[in-house]
Amino acid sequence: MDVSASLTGSFPRPESVVTLTRDLDRGRTTPEQVEAGYLAAEGDVLRIEAENGLAPRTGGYLRWPDLFRPFASGWPGFEVGPITRWFETNTFFRQPILKHPPERTPGAIARWLPAAGGALRAAEARAVLPGPYTFAGLLDNESGETFPSLVYRIGRLLAEELRELRTLGYASFQFQEPLLVVRPPEGPAAESVRAAYRALGEAAGPADTSLWTFFGDASPVFLLLSSLPVGLVGVDLAETVPEELPVPTSPCGLGFGCIDPRTTLLEDPAELVRLVEGTVARLKPTRVHLGPGAPLDLLPYAPATRKLGVLPAARDRLRRTGGSS
Amino acid sequence: MTQPLFPSQEIGSLARPRWQLLGQRGAPLDARAHTELTQWNERLHFLPAEDPSLKLFLSDRSTEVPPATVREWGSLFGLRYLEGLGLDRVYDGEARRVEMYEAAVRHMTGFTFEGHVRSFDQKYYLKAAATGAVGLTAPYHLEEFRYLKGLAKRELKLPVTGPYTIADWSFNEHYLERRPGWKHRAARREAQREFVEAVARNALRPTLQALVAAGCRVVQIDEPAAGTHPDEAELVAAGFNAATEGLDAEFSMHICFSDYRSLFPALLEAKRCSQWALEFANRDTADHDAYAELELLNEYGDRRGVGLGVLDVHRDVVETPEVVRDRILRAAKVLGDPGRIWVNPDCGLRTRSLEVAWKKLTSLVEGARLARKELAGSAS
Repeated sequence: MDVSASLTGSFPRPESVVTLTRDLDRGRTTPEQVEAGYLAAEGDVLRIEAENGLAPRTGGYLRWPDLFRPFASGWPGFEVGPITRWFETNTFFRQPILKHPPERTPGAIARWLPAAGGALRAAEARAVLPGPYTFAGLLDNESGETFPSLVYRIGRLLAEELRELRTLGYASFQFQEPLLVVRPPEGPAAESVRAAYRALGEAAGPADTSLWTFFGDASPVFLLLSSLPVGLVGVDLAETVPEELPVPTSPCGLGFGCIDPRTTLLEDPAELVRLVEGTVARLKPTRVHLGPGAPLDLLPYAPATRKLGVLPAARDRLRRTGGSS
Repeated sequence: MTQPLFPSQEIGSLARPRWQLLGQRGAPLDARAHTELTQWNERLHFLPAEDPSLKLFLSDRSTEVPPATVREWGSLFGLRYLEGLGLDRVYDGEARRVEMYEAAVRHMTGFTFEGHVRSFDQKYYLKAAATGAVGLTAPYHLEEFRYLKGLAKRELKLPVTGPYTIADWSFNEHYLERRPGWKHRAARREAQREFVEAVARNALRPTLQALVAAGCRVVQIDEPAAGTHPDEAELVAAGFNAATEGLDAEFSMHICFSDYRSLFPALLEAKRCSQWALEFANRDTADHDAYAELELLNEYGDRRGVGLGVLDVHRDVVETPEVVRDRILRAAKVLGDPGRIWVNPDCGLRTRSLEVAWKKLTSLVEGARLARKELAGSAS
């Protein structure tokens, strides 16, 4: 059994960057000093990822204000909108407002991705992007386009993005799809999700793709998720009881979101291994991937770093047992 | 205390004046802060012009005035500001508090501050974890209350952060760790219930008890986190009940920017809550009559008071008195009993400048007067 582990979303900014960005807002430092702070912090996250054997690496996506900002600020048709609650958390994102049918600007996203700074090769990096359903569902759609049509259109645009990123060397893509489990699609919306992911699958070619869900129970929608043309589907173990996941109709990889960023309490690797082994024996995934249950930026930097240690501990035990007891 | 129809109240925080921020840091006053202090004192007369400390503060030796003195002035300024507007219930704009979470947790035991979490963009808040059983080092807000009690010309209403919000804005280690097995949602829920009740019983209730003993008669329990997890509304009520159990005072609950329907009927279990202080103005648009949402209370036969949010605290646009009046009258019509209504801003006005907040609150007071006049006219 192939068992791997990585970060699956944003890592918290270290206190040094917190101070610098606050100071910048208050006119106490310069953009150059903030940039230097980011570079150092990204280097630290890359080092932590390497030390823990996490791959592909991400650098923590420390500069992303939220999951949608690079798109809302870089793609025509969008405006950056009001502060909006990020699911059931005490954090917020700026809701993209879609004024016109969305378009894509070549190069607009690549400059936000881990290899942009030159500290990491694109081939070793994971491009973490919003999934089309979550993106379409959380924006303020003033374009007049129907929701299912918008899901598909965004899927097509993201597919074009994937093609561009592949030419830059990226070979691993992850789509963040919390909304798929918080508000599962039905009818035409479900069909549009299938169509959008077909487009993404074609664009990805041989690249590794994953769809990561969080903040909700994946069980009710797992058959849909596991039928999509992605390499693996990630579920949030804080919300999903793995015993309740139905057996997929076709083989797929399974991601276990096993670090809960809603508590600083450390997960027990032994308990996690038991949970994974039981699930693997029942669902027989093609591969197993371990990652945070939701982006770790719900935690401060120090506890996030502590909790990250659960991933290699559990991964190494699973590798020793072959992933099933 | 006898109040007029549609009495007015503040909800919580005000922007901190620049002179206070600089003075508390021990930084010299700049020209802007100097002008700000001089002009507000001319308007409110909260400090005697001949006060030697004030003269020193306004000189080029401002840093010689102790930060504690400046902090006290900030509290007095907040009080006189709200009294000067003519509000019926006042406080000090939470002038002494760092912010509503940290200011409370700093007085509790069992918490460890873990670092900053990003709220949005480049805004962060310091977040603590409950790493042990929650307790209290000493009741808090007492110093500020005693100070204000000796000076207030209007009835004081003390705002205090609610137990559910403190728990929700913290990490729960201690109470979760005691639950065996993988921490699924059900385990987290029960651990959160323990956490909320521990904050309520072990920290907030003793604090409220001390405040009541000191003469505090009106308390607003702030639960801005209530809407974050609507399925936990019963925990909000349980925390409210545990915090206020056996205490003789008037308690209200402030909630904002939430889908109120999702919180009821669970919130009705907050038995000692005599007023729901709610935000409405922010969601009141040409297409949506926010005050019609009060029908929810009628559906459950709830006859408690309503602290009616009539000022949008997120926009600088100043509501006219007529807009405020109409909002009050719409709410009165839905509730069928104008006597249950207090008028207030949607939430604390901290994000607005003092000048904008002043204009908005002036409209609030005048709008309440117009609403009284309108009702008196229609009754005659």
